[in-house]
Amino acid sequence: MEKIILCIKGVPKPGTVKVDPKTHTLKRESLELILNPPDRQAIEMTARLKETYGFKVYVITMGPPNVIPLLKEVYGIVADEMVLLSDRAFAGSDTLATSYVLAQAIKRLSPYSLVLMGLKSIDGETSQVPPETAALLELPSLTHVKAIYKEENSWVVIRQTEYGEEELEVNPPFVASILPEAFDYLRPPSLKRLLEAKVKEPMVLAANDLDLIPERLGLNGSPTQVVDVFEKKIEIKGQVIEGDPSFLVEKLVSVLEQKGIINP
Amino acid sequence: MFKKYRLENLEKGNLIAFGEVFQGMLHPSSIEILTPLKDLGLKLNKKVVLVCLIDDVDSFKDLELLKKCIADEIWMVCHQELAHFRDDLYAEVLVEMVKATDPCGLFFPATSIGCSLAPRIAGRLNLGLCAHVNHLEIEDGKIVMTRPTYGENIIAKLISNTSPVMATLSIGAFSAIYGEKEPKFFEVEMPSDFSWVSKLKVRRFTPAAKQPNRLSTAKVVIAGGRGLRSKENFQKLFELAEVLRAEVGATRPVCYEGWVEEDRMIGISGVTVRPKVYIGLGISGALQHTVGMENSEYIVAVNIDKEAPLVKMAHLGLIGDAPKVLDLLIKRLKK
Ligand SMILES: Cc1cc2nc3c(=O)[nH]c(=O)nc-3n(C[C@H](O)[C@H](O)[C@H](O)COP(=O)(O)OP(=O)(O)OC[C@H]3O[C@@H](n4cnc5c(N)ncnc54)[C@H](O)[C@@H]3O)c2cc1C
Repeated sequence: MEKIILCIKGVPKPGTVKVDPKTHTLKRESLELILNPPDRQAIEMTARLKETYGFKVYVITMGPPNVIPLLKEVYGIVADEMVLLSDRAFAGSDTLATSYVLAQAIKRLSPYSLVLMGLKSIDGETSQVPPETAALLELPSLTHVKAIYKEENSWVVIRQTEYGEEELEVNPPFVASILPEAFDYLRPPSLKRLLEAKVKEPMVLAANDLDLIPERLGLNGSPTQVVDVFEKKIEIKGQVIEGDPSFLVEKLVSVLEQKGIINP
Repeated sequence: MFKKYRLENLEKGNLIAFGEVFQGMLHPSSIEILTPLKDLGLKLNKKVVLVCLIDDVDSFKDLELLKKCIADEIWMVCHQELAHFRDDLYAEVLVEMVKATDPCGLFFPATSIGCSLAPRIAGRLNLGLCAHVNHLEIEDGKIVMTRPTYGENIIAKLISNTSPVMATLSIGAFSAIYGEKEPKFFEVEMPSDFSWVSKLKVRRFTPAAKQPNRLSTAKVVIAGGRGLRSKENFQKLFELAEVLRAEVGATRPVCYEGWVEEDRMIGISGVTVRPKVYIGLGISGALQHTVGMENSEYIVAVNIDKEAPLVKMAHLGLIGDAPKVLDLLIKRLKK
C-alpha cells in the first residue's frame, strides 16, 4: 500500500515557555506540549487522502518522550504507525539540523508517496522545515497547499498564496506543507483507535538507529547560533487616562482631530 | 538589452538579495531589503546585488523601479521556464549562482515565496537560515541578525556559521530608499548544461480576487487583539476603518482564531507598519507584535490593564473596555 508520512510537532503551550539561560534554547523537557495548531490541517488532509485512496499513514515527530501522547492522538485520528525520533543529541537543533534528522528517518521509511506537514509551527514561525526536508530528500516541495488529488495520470496540487491560486501537476513522491486555512475542521479521533493506542507504543529511533553524521546534530550541528539575548526595555512614552468609556472616546477624538485624521 | 555575462564570470563574494518577481511585477519588499544590505555592504566593502528570475525582459513591468534602487548591480536570469515561480527550479538556479559566485550573504523578503525558496536552498547547500530577521548589523566582521524570540520581551542575536549567511527579512521592517546612481544591469547566462526542468507543472493560475491590503503604507492603522473578545466585535474595526480611511491590523492569536485573515497580522511574523496614528484595542503588546508597530508616529492603546506593555509604550493609554470604546467611537464619528 502507498504510504503517507505525516510529520507533526509538539509545541509549548502558549504562555508556558521557558528559555534556558545558558544555551538560549527552549527548555523542552519541562514543558507542557500541545499539538502544533497548523499541523491540524495536515492531519485532516491526510485523513481525507487516506479515505479516498487508502494510504497507509506513518505519523512521525522529533522530540522528547513527552510528545508520545500527541502521536497517540494522531494515531486515534488517522495513523497506522507511530515513529518518535528522540535522542539527547537532537536537543537544540535549528531548522536545518531538524530537517536532516527528519529526512534521514523518512528515507528509512521508503518507499512512500507523500510527506505532509503543517505550514509552520507556532513556536518558531519559520515555515522552513518542510522545504529544507524536501531539499535534503531531493524531492519537489510545495508550500501553502490547500488541496491534493489524483487524476488519471498525475497528482494535482492546489496552493494558495497572496498572489492567487495555482494548480500544479506533480508526481509523487513530494513534500507538501498544508495551508492553515485549508480546512476549519479536524475530525475527532475514533474511540476504538484511541483504546488501541493506549497499548500501542511508537517505534522510537535514536541517533544510533539512523544513518546520521554526529557533527550535524543538535545545538552543535546547527549552523545558526544564538550569540546574545537581551531584554528590551519598554520606553514609557505618554499619558495614561482612566475614566468611563465616553470620556475616553472624547479624548481619542480630540487626538484624531489634532493629528488631522478627522475634521473637527 | 543588458550586457550578458556568463555565470562564472560574474564578480564573487557579494551580498545577494532575492528580487521577487511574480507575473512581471517586483514585490516591494525586494526593494526594502536592499536598505540594510547597502549598510552592510559599506561596512564590509561588498557589493549589493539584486537577483531577479524572469521569463523575458519585455514582460517585466518594473524596470524603472529597478533603475532607481540602491543595489550596485542587478542580475537578471531570463528563461522561459522561469515564467512562473516553481520552488525546485528557482532554487536550483540560485544554488548554481551561489556555487559559482560564492556570495557572503543571501537574503530574501519573508513573503510566501521567500519563505518557500530560501529553505529549499539552505537544505540543498546545508546552510544555516534565520527567519523573519528585522535588524542586521556587523560585529567583529560578522553579520549579526536580530529577531524577537520566545518569552516576553526578549530579543535574540544570531549568527550563521556557514557561508553565505542566509536569512528571510521581515516584511516592512525596512524602509525602501532610492539612490542617484543607476545600478549596473547584467543578464546572467547560466551554464549550457544547466537543466531547466522542474518536477512541478503549472496548469492554471487564478489571480487573487481581492486586492492586497495596504497595511504597510497606511497612514492610520487600527489593530485589534484578543481583548476585543469576539469575531463580531473585531469586524466592527472595519466600520471604523472606513470612517478614518484606515487599515485594519491584528495580533497573531486573533488571526489564528479566524477572526480575520492572516495577511492583517502585524509583527515579526506578519507585516511592519509605520502609520501616523496606530490605535491598538485589546492588545497586550508582546514584543513579537510591537516590533511591527513601534515606529508608528503616535500610538494609542485601549486596554483594561494599566500594566499592559502596549499601554506603557503608548503616547496615549486609555484604560477601559475595548469593545465598548469601539462602539462609542463609531457612533460618535458617524454623528
Ligand atoms: C515565534 C512567535 C512569533 C510571533 N509572531 C507574532 C506576530 O507577528 N504578531 C503578533 O501579534 N503576535 C505574534 N506572536 C504572539 C505574541 O507573542 C502574543 O502572544 C500576541 O501578540 C498577543 O496577542 P493579543 O495582544 O491579542 O493577546 P493577549 O496577549 O492575550 O492580550 C490581550 C489583551 O487584551 C486585554 N483585554 C482583555 N479584555 C479586554 C477588554 N474587555 N478591553 C480591553 N482590553 C482587554 C488584556 O488586558 C490583554 O492585555 C508570536 C509568538 C511567537 C512565539
